[in-house]
Amino acid sequence: MDDARGSLSRRDWFTLSSLAAGALTIKGAKADVVQPPMSPVSVAKVVAYDADLVAQFQLMFDQIGGIGQLVRGKTVAMKVNLSGASGTGRQVGLSAGQTSWVHPNIVGALTATFAKFGAKRVRILESTFRKRYGTPLEDTLLNDGWDVKAIKTAAPIVEFEDTNGPGQAKQYSLLKVKSRPYIFDAFCFNHSYDDCDFFVSVGKMKNHEELGVTLSMKNLFGITPELLYGLRPKPDGAVVSPIGNFSPWTRERVFHYGQVQPPEGVPQEMDPTSSRYEGWRMPRLLTDLCGARPIDLSVLDGVEAIIGGEGTGMPGTKHGKPGILVVGRNCVCTDAVAMATMGYNPRAGRHEAPFRLYKNPKDHPADQLIPPGEYHQYADNTVMMGEAAGIGTADLTKIDVRGVPIKDVMWDYEAHWKGQAPV
Amino acid sequence: MALTLRNPAAWVLFCVTSLGWAAPDPTHWVPARWEGGPLEVARRGKADDRVRETLAKWYEPSSLDLLENTPINCLLVTFSIGAPSAVEALQQQVVKEYARSARKRGIAVLGVVYPGTAVSSVAMAATDAQLDGLVLDGEFPADFTADLARHYPGIVIPIAHDAASVRASSAPLLAVQGVRPIARDLADMGIRAGASAEPWIDSNIWLVRSFRFGADWRPIWVDQEPNPASEGDYIRCVADAAVAGGRWIVALDDDLRVNLFHRNADALGAWRRMGAYLKFAEDHAEWRQFAPFGNLGIIIDNGDLDEYLNLIARRQVPYRLIRRNELSAASLAGFRAVAAFAVPTEAERKILRDFAEKGGGVVVAGPSWGDAPKDDPYAEAPLGKGRVVVYKEEPPDPEAVAKDMQDLLPPEVIGLNTFNVPSAITYASTSDGGKRVLIQLLNYAGRPIERITLRFNGVFKQARLYTPENAPVDLVSTEAQKGRTEVLIPNLAAWGAVLLEQRN
Repeated sequence: MDDARGSLSRRDWFTLSSLAAGALTIKGAKADVVQPPMSPVSVAKVVAYDADLVAQFQLMFDQIGGIGQLVRGKTVAMKVNLSGASGTGRQVGLSAGQTSWVHPNIVGALTATFAKFGAKRVRILESTFRKRYGTPLEDTLLNDGWDVKAIKTAAPIVEFEDTNGPGQAKQYSLLKVKSRPYIFDAFCFNHSYDDCDFFVSVGKMKNHEELGVTLSMKNLFGITPELLYGLRPKPDGAVVSPIGNFSPWTRERVFHYGQVQPPEGVPQEMDPTSSRYEGWRMPRLLTDLCGARPIDLSVLDGVEAIIGGEGTGMPGTKHGKPGILVVGRNCVCTDAVAMATMGYNPRAGRHEAPFRLYKNPKDHPADQLIPPGEYHQYADNTVMMGEAAGIGTADLTKIDVRGVPIKDVMWDYEAHWKGQAPV
Repeated sequence: MALTLRNPAAWVLFCVTSLGWAAPDPTHWVPARWEGGPLEVARRGKADDRVRETLAKWYEPSSLDLLENTPINCLLVTFSIGAPSAVEALQQQVVKEYARSARKRGIAVLGVVYPGTAVSSVAMAATDAQLDGLVLDGEFPADFTADLARHYPGIVIPIAHDAASVRASSAPLLAVQGVRPIARDLADMGIRAGASAEPWIDSNIWLVRSFRFGADWRPIWVDQEPNPASEGDYIRCVADAAVAGGRWIVALDDDLRVNLFHRNADALGAWRRMGAYLKFAEDHAEWRQFAPFGNLGIIIDNGDLDEYLNLIARRQVPYRLIRRNELSAASLAGFRAVAAFAVPTEAERKILRDFAEKGGGVVVAGPSWGDAPKDDPYAEAPLGKGRVVVYKEEPPDPEAVAKDMQDLLPPEVIGLNTFNVPSAITYASTSDGGKRVLIQLLNYAGRPIERITLRFNGVFKQARLYTPENAPVDLVSTEAQKGRTEVLIPNLAAWGAVLLEQRN
């Protein structure tokens, strides 16, 4: 594995993280005793997916300091956001890549770009939420019309793996949280998240019903294997389907709501008496995930996207064409800049957009409404959690934004969602 | 029963003597609602002036010119609405003249009868007008159809509002109420769903398919009147009925009718393009002789299983129907899975058990099968070489069953696997003992779908795509794993049919 992280070695990274975490845990200590790391972020205006995205990414990677030396001869793993892919998340007449999934042209161009930089192998990863585990990830991608064969030829070795289970390995990889842990201090993942030299989170720039926005940090929820965290132990004598496992529980019960603990032998919650409210838990959990599997490169696809929610099933969601790409080495910095391009304050707090949420009591567990019966709920700000954990800064005044200025690409998600933006 | 001229000899006699003027065999009728005349103006009392004016003049002979270069050869004209006798008589006189003009062009004319009509008077008037038959539209008294059949020698076609009620009918032509074919987003329907929700599709493909128990074909007319309708709606209506071998009863919305009447160029263009879709369907009439494909059998009886048939089709799981009273080991030959939602008799249970135990098949059943789960929605258990899936709910929720099918049945058991078709529905059929396979797809979205992948059991050397818009094109077919053929459709505007053939 390659420890290098540009000008910041992995050792530096961990040192800084632990210093930040340590500072935060000292009672009365000021959060700015140790500045969380900053890394440049590149922003681009890209109006359509048929643009020369390879050239675009090369330019953006140059703008953030280059990645060639980090991927040359290495295994690059890309976790792509397919929203779990239990369905394709389609709106009538639109591909999922235009709404809730990352677009195949983005993934294809990234694969080709990494190959150009000399990557030995590119792995494309996502955990698809299906009862029948074992469906090749390639078939899931065909369901949105991806040209899988073309992507396979874009680099010397291109592999696809559904990481919802152990996959090609015999066991899961245990990864400890290196930043300040909030809820879990370790996780078990598919081997591909461990067995790589350079890890890329390829997210979609979307709103999220329960978390306000979903960007490169939120994308990492999908690295948790449903088959491990979602499976209820079978009663004695029960039949396991010959065509796969059956998962009557979902990992949301473990992670979002904390209703059950992970199975025996898997790292447990540090404090099972902590809040069970998902708006509190999930931003912290995502930060833990980013601490366990640090993101080496964040790529955010906002060329086209769904707005008003993370998927097509949320009432009021719309298709939009923000025309934005954001790339950065630090996931907190990158997500913070992306939030700004979406018209949001990346330092926004509870009950401020986009963290002012609406939850219909009919659709949500009663214990997830605080106070009970109240429609208006909140989520904590994930990038601020990341900053507090020492992963990176969410302060725009400290982030070196390169490429196109934020004000020139800003596409106000909230205004478009509400129909207030000029058409 | 839907078609009341049940005696073949009487039919022949009727056609040769009373209806010597009639258009060809009703199996060749391509129908269109062609309402007009003073009765229709009265029926459409709230229509705006331009519509009323058009309806009033619709039975001028010139409206028949619109049918040139279209396959439409059977008109459903307004005939009786139960209005005062003088008004009805005036209408029927107008229709009589119009029908005469139509017959000279080889076009059959059927009178549409609405509730409130007296049997004797309408029978007499239809005979006098030398109509080719009557169509009953609406809810009539229970004995109305039989009474009419006694008084009127021609064909009587009730439009069934409940498909299940006429599924056992042996009538050679059936008309059923359908739905407007359309794809919609759940969010637009006020339905909250998961992040990966897919569009909701209203379709009649399953409806037409539900009358097909084998290779035998008979015309199924689908009645639904989109108003207003776009050009896209019209071509979808045509294709949606035709994919499984049915025919849409063409129906003009008010705008198109008015604009056609005034020979508006855009309207005439839309009419021509719809005609091209109708012609495509009739040009490929041989496809109707292909037998439905499905490794999944669904046992149906007189109970209402329509929602299963609808939703399983929408999940792209091809199936064939098995009449419950014909269930036997022989009738299950060729199937790899069977869904039996009704409570099975002991004899039926034995047949199904043998199917699983000895044949290795999958049986999907309700809780009456036994060993239903208490918590989970369904439970699977081995059964000899096969297995049984027992649902907790009685009856099992059709939406859940349909969704689960893709998980319960491996791809090669489903037989046809489709990728990138969330706004489309597929229908597969075979001929020549499976050497020729026809996979039809209808895109319900207003935009083309790119890169659809199909996989089908078996190795086929040739794959050709037929569409109404373009000449047939050969597709690249590759052999996928496990002796399966994979085909890529680069682009599908609306209706496409892929013909797979084993020959070189």
